[in-house]
Amino acid sequence: MANYYDALLKLCGFEDDEIKREKSRIDRAFRKLELGPEDMKKAERWVSENHDVELLGVRKLLRAWLMELIDLELAREEGKKIVYYGYPSIPGPGMAIKAAADLAGVDIYCGCPDVVLCHTLGQIFNKLSPVLEAGEQNGLPPGHGLCSLQQIRNGGLAKGIISVPDLVTGSSYYCDMGSKADELLHERYGHRAIYVDGSMDSRWGEYPDYQPERVEFLGAQLNKLFATVSEVLGVEVNTQAWDKSMDTSRALYSALGRLTRLMTADPVPVSYVEAGLALQLTAGSTGRSMTEGPQAVSILCDEVEKRVERGVGVVEKGAPTVLILIAPFSDPSVIRMIENAGLAITTGIYSVPPKKHPPTTYTTLGEIRAEREMRDGYYHSNFGIAKRVEEAVNDLKVDGVLWGYIYNCRPLAETSHTVKKWVEENTGVPVLSLEIDAYDSRNYSAAALRTRVEAFAEMLRDRKASAKA
Amino acid sequence: MIVAGVDIGAATAKAVILDGDELLAFSIIPTGFSVARAAEAVTEDALAKSRLSMGNLEYIISTGYGRRAVRFSNKVLTEIICHAAGVSSVVPQAGTIIDIGGQDSKVIGLDGNGKVRDFVMNDKCAAGTGRFLEVMAGVLGVAISEAGALSLLSREPCSISSTCTVFAESEMVSLRAEGKSREDMLAGIHKAMAHRIAIMGQSVGFRQEVVFAGGVAKNVGMKKALEDEIGLEILVPEEPQIMGALGAAILAKAELVKMHQAS
Repeated sequence: MANYYDALLKLCGFEDDEIKREKSRIDRAFRKLELGPEDMKKAERWVSENHDVELLGVRKLLRAWLMELIDLELAREEGKKIVYYGYPSIPGPGMAIKAAADLAGVDIYCGCPDVVLCHTLGQIFNKLSPVLEAGEQNGLPPGHGLCSLQQIRNGGLAKGIISVPDLVTGSSYYCDMGSKADELLHERYGHRAIYVDGSMDSRWGEYPDYQPERVEFLGAQLNKLFATVSEVLGVEVNTQAWDKSMDTSRALYSALGRLTRLMTADPVPVSYVEAGLALQLTAGSTGRSMTEGPQAVSILCDEVEKRVERGVGVVEKGAPTVLILIAPFSDPSVIRMIENAGLAITTGIYSVPPKKHPPTTYTTLGEIRAEREMRDGYYHSNFGIAKRVEEAVNDLKVDGVLWGYIYNCRPLAETSHTVKKWVEENTGVPVLSLEIDAYDSRNYSAAALRTRVEAFAEMLRDRKASAKA
Repeated sequence: MIVAGVDIGAATAKAVILDGDELLAFSIIPTGFSVARAAEAVTEDALAKSRLSMGNLEYIISTGYGRRAVRFSNKVLTEIICHAAGVSSVVPQAGTIIDIGGQDSKVIGLDGNGKVRDFVMNDKCAAGTGRFLEVMAGVLGVAISEAGALSLLSREPCSISSTCTVFAESEMVSLRAEGKSREDMLAGIHKAMAHRIAIMGQSVGFRQEVVFAGGVAKNVGMKKALEDEIGLEILVPEEPQIMGALGAAILAKAELVKMHQAS
């Protein structure tokens, strides 16, 4: 007998036998998420309108995200240990924790639940608002400029759609909001929270130099995290685990690198909505991103490569190219609107590969990782971000930058002004500071943003035409 | 070469008819409920003043928030690009445009050739828009057309601290209860709104000549308040409301020339 979710799951790349095999898990997860037949119909429309489901790679990516959601939902009842990390996250520790658990034979769910909910309840079901509202009622009220990503995590716990974890690692090296939200949730639910502190207070102009004290401090915080993991989960995050995590993630990063290169074709061959589905796997998941991700992204790359050969794109050939920060996680219609306005989004700023670094002299895992972050710039300082954007603009020769001015993100809200000024003055490329909320589209719909985006597109087209003449 | 520019704003619909470089006529009507009907009505009105009909129009560009609802337009452009073209045609040395409309406000930086250099726009919150002024004038029982002139009679402008329209309305009610004069309250409102626009426009920068366009540009009190805030003289075109429609018509003519050259 057919299930009420069959049509949607097939649209999202599931095979018949897989649905049959996973039926019990899907039933339980969807019940927990309160997803019924009506939600499936709405989701089919939303996915068809906003995702390029003609591409098998896109369908497989949607499947990977849905499987991640199901794993997240059922983690506790399937007897797993649960570790949540924050976003933005320093890449590596989450994967290393997962690898350490795998090596020790400990069944673990390790991921960023807020990012998973954005890419599933938002991107697939367009049903994130009830979670946000629950978060608002559970201690992070509306109208206070609080981070909506934290409201999602909070709401998920309040509604019981995500489980209380064994350990939470707060990304307070970047922003205090995540750690404060985790503190609130710790007070509510009693789970262990470990704060990975750091300081982005750095002299404007300092990057690429950095103070060794910052590496030592952040490194010590990361080492403290690994020690706490050992204490709470009984697994050791050591060099062996770190190396295993690097081996495991190599295939995904290699496929993502290929996709990033393909996105620079003219015309841009696939929507940034789909590139985002692939790129953000690394931000939200250490599970399905590694087991399903590489194959899904590789299939997508093969299909995209064929489009490049045929000269097929999602915007006109010669359309102005833009670098974006930060693409909305939960609402794909915003990126669609930007592309419909005639802007070719070639890549996200955080996807631009870092420069090669000299060998490190640090010896502990935490310090090695911390030094890498200082060198990469994004967690160094706002000037570090400005310099990286400047380099990316020059390397990729884009026509503009779409800077998501996330009004309720304390670090990024400030960069929207300083980076705009810096990049415009140092590259001559226009930057649109577009006020958005990357996780909550209730106040920032595509319709509300259209005039600014279209005007920016008209401006860039004009500049291109004038430069040609 | 007869072309039209149609600007459908939140409060008013505007149409301009050009024959080459000559402005034949323009029309301004309230937008009302049906955007599509307003577009037809305002264009027909402008055509009637020119003794022409729809059939005479060779190219039409629509702009404004209702631009996509204009079924008879050949091309759609945002009001930002159109304002730049319209204002530059009447003030060629314009460096900055302040446009305050019914539901949004913009500061547009120009490159000296009638093209947009940079822009910033507030369309999320009513503060800093014509609607804010309208609500406040309503609280004070003043016709919106008189609010600006009355504000200039103030001796001691009130300080309005709230940037939210609803809370500013409450603040006005309190000030009224304190016995503050209508003129002082109006001056305070104009100052608060001008301050918001000045802050918003800082990222674009105010370069001379600064031109004030949109319906609110007819308000002499707002012109003065803006001049005080940014410390520069502000020019107001004779018909500030039609700058978007005029720009659309100018760009329509350019499109037509391009098409003729291509054929």
